[in-house]
Amino acid sequence: MKSLEQLTDSVFYIMAALTEPRHGYAVMNLVEETTNGQVVIGPASLYTIIKKLLNEQLISLHDDTDSRRKVYVLTKKGCDILREDIKRRKIMVELAEKGLERRWE
Amino acid sequence: MAQTKYLMSNGLAFSEQKDMETLRKKALKGWNLKGFRFMGYKLEYGEPEDVIYSIDYRLLAPDEEAEYFEMFSSAGWTHVCSEYDRHIFKAEPGTAPIYSDIESKIDKIDRLANPIKMVVLFLVGMMLAFWLLFTFASGIVQSVSRGIFLFFLVLTIPALMTLFATYYHRWKKLKERNNHSVI
Repeated sequence: MKSLEQLTDSVFYIMAALTEPRHGYAVMNLVEETTNGQVVIGPASLYTIIKKLLNEQLISLHDDTDSRRKVYVLTKKGCDILREDIKRRKIMVELAEKGLERRWE
Repeated sequence: MAQTKYLMSNGLAFSEQKDMETLRKKALKGWNLKGFRFMGYKLEYGEPEDVIYSIDYRLLAPDEEAEYFEMFSSAGWTHVCSEYDRHIFKAEPGTAPIYSDIESKIDKIDRLANPIKMVVLFLVGMMLAFWLLFTFASGIVQSVSRGIFLFFLVLTIPALMTLFATYYHRWKKLKERNNHSVI
């Protein structure tokens, strides 16, 4: 994640889950449930990415009363970066969708 | 008193996967991992366990431990033992791996490589210093510094090999990422 212009899928999922305050386990669950088990984020990957996002100030500690389940939330900077990446992903999807529509016309 | 034995490591920088597979085979026979020992592991005899093992490297501050281990246990990985920055976990076969994306896997290799890099830098520095000394000095200083130079040379070679092994694994992961960016 040296360049933040392009988020990896795992980072994108975690940031998307942290648009609302959540702890790590809740992030894992949400991603797994939303994708019907297609995407399972491993605990070591999750921990690594959360630490990176904290470092880059894309997320912040929201509540650490339970030291086993610290709650994080996306910062303003994090929201901006996530929006930028949504744009990038939309262009990708639109290109494919429009191409397929034309093909079956 | 439980029966214990020592299992030598193949060197985590060289073949971490092989170590984890060996630990699994031993556990199937009842020799379960109990802890780290010098260049290896301590096994204790008991009930055979059908488990897979995974290792992670991360230096944890005291206030980070609870959260870190909680994430693993909620994902089905039971903490077995830790030493300094090394942590081994076990889980039922089929449990999703602790690393699910290549970028984080590369970060893990970097965390393993960084202390090795420091050791290599120190050894190479010492080697160069004593090489200069024995090249430009004369008499007793020359012969003593020659001895010390050789001493550092002998230490530097295995350290460099270890460092190259980690770079090799890193390069393999980068290639994996470029070939197919599945996750």
